[in-house]
Amino acid sequence: MIDIVVEVENLVKIYPGGVRAVDNISFKVRKGEIYSLLGPNGAGKTTTMKIITTLLKPTSGMVNVGGYSVIEEPQKVRKIIGYVPQDLSADDELTGLENMMLQARLYGYSKSEARRRSIELLEMVGLKEAADKLVKTYSGGMRRRLELAMGLVNEPEVLILDEPTLGLDVQSRIHIWDYIRRIIRENSITVIMTTHYMEEADSLSDRVAIIDRGKIVVEGTPEELKSRISGEIILIYTENEADKQVMDKISTLKDVIDVDKIDKVIRIKVNSIASTINKILNLIEREKVGVKSISIEKPTLEQVFIEYTGRMFRDEEPVDSRRMIAIWRRRR
Amino acid sequence: MIGSATLAIYEREMRKWLRQWWQIVFIIITPLMWMGLFGKSFNFSRFFNIPQDFPLRDIVNQAIEELIIKRFFGGYDYFSFFVVGMMSVFILFTNMWSGMSLVFDRRLGYLTRFLVAPISRTSILVAKILASITRSLLQVTALFIIALALGLKVKPNISIADIALFYITLTILAFSLGALFTGVAVKITSHDLVISIANLVNLPLMFASNAIFPIEQMPDYIQAIARVNPLTYANIITRYAILGIGTPEDLVVSFLYLLAFMAVSISVGIVIASKKFEE
Repeated sequence: MIDIVVEVENLVKIYPGGVRAVDNISFKVRKGEIYSLLGPNGAGKTTTMKIITTLLKPTSGMVNVGGYSVIEEPQKVRKIIGYVPQDLSADDELTGLENMMLQARLYGYSKSEARRRSIELLEMVGLKEAADKLVKTYSGGMRRRLELAMGLVNEPEVLILDEPTLGLDVQSRIHIWDYIRRIIRENSITVIMTTHYMEEADSLSDRVAIIDRGKIVVEGTPEELKSRISGEIILIYTENEADKQVMDKISTLKDVIDVDKIDKVIRIKVNSIASTINKILNLIEREKVGVKSISIEKPTLEQVFIEYTGRMFRDEEPVDSRRMIAIWRRRR
Repeated sequence: MIGSATLAIYEREMRKWLRQWWQIVFIIITPLMWMGLFGKSFNFSRFFNIPQDFPLRDIVNQAIEELIIKRFFGGYDYFSFFVVGMMSVFILFTNMWSGMSLVFDRRLGYLTRFLVAPISRTSILVAKILASITRSLLQVTALFIIALALGLKVKPNISIADIALFYITLTILAFSLGALFTGVAVKITSHDLVISIANLVNLPLMFASNAIFPIEQMPDYIQAIARVNPLTYANIITRYAILGIGTPEDLVVSFLYLLAFMAVSISVGIVIASKKFEE
């Protein structure tokens, strides 16, 4: 039998003013797994996290953590969870060690226990040398690591990470991932994570739920999700929105599985790029479609997102470096 | 009642405060300006200095001594009267900011850490109020010593019990004001509004009390405010304790009034605070 540690059922949160931030979400997290909620900003991830961490009361639905209801027994839930909030919230006028010790004492550790536990965790996240420095002198990556250590201070059963690498550069982000993997391996902990970084969800999670506009659109292991997109994808970025006529013509080409259009991007799913690319290029030249660029995509979670929501995944940062970009020039 | 969580949060507040030495300098300098500029310039004995050639000089002098100096100022100079009265005002000035750290903890996301921890919401507020009381009492102690150096004359037979009464009174006042302003800060999430409220109440509460002038000569409407103003009652007690002005009956009435005020402000603080913590 698989232990279910976190159970969310028909969760709804409507904010005053009528905004439906979470719209009937259900999922189950098994003991020891990393479960990610992946979605763009404003999808309802943080609201879901706030309800799980007892910070926010749901409008309706049920959330159990470690067998305790977040509504009925919030204090029991608080004891067994560790929370790493999205905002950097360590006190920057205190040192790393002071932050850790205060956190430990909030969970009932005595001063000496708190110190021992704090130093142990600071060492684990590589902050032992910086333990007595004020947090305001820390770099962004160091602060994220401190937040992570603070979330672990009470030896939680469930660690809740809300955008654990938000605002970090790629290198620091990979660094943090290593720490998260290590923590999970060494502490046999269950993790719920939100992220809007595709690679983060892909590389860390055992299972991913893609969430959009308050609903879970699809759930599964990263591999499962990616394998649902058969074939390869060509994206054509056009100067103007393409006509329906052009779209129809593309869709009748051999080996083309599917064509759709998101604003000024034509997204073509094909069985094989090699056998279709020339035909497509010829066709759009004949139809005098102004093309800015063309890219060819391997199946990624981003593509899964587009597939299931019909929208581009809006992100502040360029996504997926594996993308091959070919600048299309008009041949003449 | 004071759990380890309260203690830990209290320690954090005090540690942060002690680390900002300039903040400590300012909470001494500003009151010092009040004491030095205001307390020293309103020298009433100079006001009533009767010219040498004025007929009936001795009689008028005696009348002033009996009717004004003794009656209002207990035979002391204005500076002593003023400084002891201002101690409650400094308690107000410091404790009315007690909610600020809560507002900033919320703004900087730190409050979230307290709220997800298995601690009672009350322990957060109690820790903040206690820290505020500690800060204001340390401040008052420093100012009292400075005032002695500047010429404050205490009553000749002052005892430990009088000093204790002085501190107990100011602690009650500080606790009441701390509870009230911290409670308000739970509700109000904008620091601008907290500043506005503090600025709105500070001068009226100071002037409409017996801190600067005896209330007997005030216009009726100011007297009406002064008679419900807790600072007035705190000052009756502290002046009795330090200067020996007033009667034991006044002392008892004032003490009861302050206790009632404390009960009301704590209740109001709890009622305001209880709703807003969980969204």
